[in-house]
Amino acid sequence: MKVLIVEDERKTADYLFQGLTEQGCAVDLAFDGIDGQHLALHYDFDVIVLDVMLPGLDGFSVLKSLRSVKNTPVIMLTARDGVADRVRGLQDGADDYLVKPFSFLELLARLQALTRRGRAQETTLLRVGDLRVDLLSRKAIRQEQRIDLTAQEFALLAVLARRQGEILSKTVIAELVWDMNFDSNTNVVEVAIKRLRAKIDAPFDHNLLHTIRGMGYVLEKRSGPETE
Amino acid sequence: MRNSIAVRIALMFAAAALLGFALLGAALHRVLASELERHQREQISARLDDLSYMLQHGRAVNLGERIRDKLDTLSADDRRTRSWLWSEDPAFQYGEDLQEVRAAVAAGRDSVQINVGTPPQPIWMRVRGGSLPASAQHPAVTYMAGVDAEPFGHTLRTFETAVALLTLAGTVLSAALGYWIARIGLGPVERLSAEAQRIGPDNRALRLQLPTLPKELAHLGASFNDALDRLDGAYRQLATFSDDVAHELRTPLANLIGQTQVALGRERNAGELREVLQSNLEELERLRAIVADMLFLARAEQGVRARGLVASSIAQEVGKTVEFLDMLLDEAGMSVQVEGDAVAPIETSLFRRALTNLLQNAIQHSRPGAHVLVRIGSGDRSAEVSFSNPSAPIAPEQLPRLFDRFYRVDTSRRNSGENHGLGLSIVKAVAVMHNGSVFARSVDGMTTVGFSVALDG
Repeated sequence: MKVLIVEDERKTADYLFQGLTEQGCAVDLAFDGIDGQHLALHYDFDVIVLDVMLPGLDGFSVLKSLRSVKNTPVIMLTARDGVADRVRGLQDGADDYLVKPFSFLELLARLQALTRRGRAQETTLLRVGDLRVDLLSRKAIRQEQRIDLTAQEFALLAVLARRQGEILSKTVIAELVWDMNFDSNTNVVEVAIKRLRAKIDAPFDHNLLHTIRGMGYVLEKRSGPETE
Repeated sequence: MRNSIAVRIALMFAAAALLGFALLGAALHRVLASELERHQREQISARLDDLSYMLQHGRAVNLGERIRDKLDTLSADDRRTRSWLWSEDPAFQYGEDLQEVRAAVAAGRDSVQINVGTPPQPIWMRVRGGSLPASAQHPAVTYMAGVDAEPFGHTLRTFETAVALLTLAGTVLSAALGYWIARIGLGPVERLSAEAQRIGPDNRALRLQLPTLPKELAHLGASFNDALDRLDGAYRQLATFSDDVAHELRTPLANLIGQTQVALGRERNAGELREVLQSNLEELERLRAIVADMLFLARAEQGVRARGLVASSIAQEVGKTVEFLDMLLDEAGMSVQVEGDAVAPIETSLFRRALTNLLQNAIQHSRPGAHVLVRIGSGDRSAEVSFSNPSAPIAPEQLPRLFDRFYRVDTSRRNSGENHGLGLSIVKAVAVMHNGSVFARSVDGMTTVGFSVALDG
């Protein structure tokens, strides 16, 4: 995935560059609106991360000149939380909007959602190590053992399995499983993960559902020893 | 600066006095002038009568000469009253500037300027005359009398000067009196101002002393005190708020700094460093959540309203929320019962957020196994939803404060767990964004907290 980051705040730009590169993206950086506009217009990216407050040329102007030529998906970043800004950004053709402070995981999830758009229907049978999740018949089987899950537990497992290897924050999980798209301060997700883990991991010799402290959860087969 | 009230009152007094004295002076002047004129006329008439008498009743022998002598004597006694006689017969001619006077009287003028004395000085005389036809004693004669106008004019001018001076003095005195009276009258205002001066950030509890104020100012004082009360409330809330924010942010910040310093204090292996980073991340997430919620509340306070309203069944939304928190309810062995339903225009994600916070609040403050009752109802203008759960009674004065930011009934629970004390203030913000309001009751061991949303969006 080719990503352009237009961000004048050096620390932010640096960690976004490192984080996205490590996620396997090819990342280009621009530190002001003029460079950003030049890169955005003359090269093809899968997605552009665009700060609103930029020296030289602000994010709205960059977006405008970009939209007059092409439809590269754009996520706007801003420290301002004004509705006017948000509305303006979306009107000018931004595809999504993130307010600082945002979490890197959230940005990652949004980027993936944007580039995933319009992709072909995913497979209905997912495999994570020795775990199989059948989305059609709503069954989970591990090591030939049928695992009995409640509807909510299955929905959670399906979300994790669809994005196996991806760290999902509690907010993202709440949104995908329960359609609750706001920061809730509940520990529902922890409880749900605990219950799911008791069924899909506890009876078996190695764990598939991992906690990344402070970030969220990931479902993946890990070859190394467990560090829980 | 505008004129002070006292100065304005003094000026008004002065203007009134000036007008009064001027009118009075003018009236007196008129009376005096006409009196003086009458007096002049009488003097002239008396002399004319004398002349006429002498001419008619004197003995004929040398009458002209005798009358002239008599007139000389009279003139010597009273130089201000003069007489003239004119006749073809020189014996009956008398008086200085006789021709001018005669011409003036013949022309019907009542005053004439003549030259008298040595050296001659012009003076104005008021004159009148009469005439007698020829008789046995005298030929046809015209007799005239005049009075020097100067003393009368002098009297009038003296009077005018006196009136002007008195008017001036009276005006000045009235102004001074007015200023003095105004200052006394305005005394309470100055005391009020002095009292108000003393109220400041350091003694916000001070109020104006209403009982000592005169009736006219009592209302102003009461309004002023009310305004102070309101400001004080806002000030206090802001102060506690900043306090709370600082407190809420201080703990995670202290943890971050301390942990990082300890970690960097000596060589650590990757595992240990990861541990520190993870712990830091947890604290940072806490900070981020607080900041995000604060921004949300600030937006609501700035008047941002819910957008993209969709007419939705509230019971259905409650159902979704119960589903979301189902596992928490299950862990606590609690159950939820929903009564009633209403359809209202809502911004779904905001509304769910409020419902989640309310249900979470009910779960947190109930004993395990408790039963939560959700009531939904609607009136003409708004629909409301409330959550009731058994809990320790809450004092009436604490109920409205439940929705204050960072407010906790049990202050010892300040830093407990994941809830940073903004849950119910967010409910309030959501209600306000939907043109609704919040309410809380505590009756018979049941606490009910809920909010309303406007039906017309």
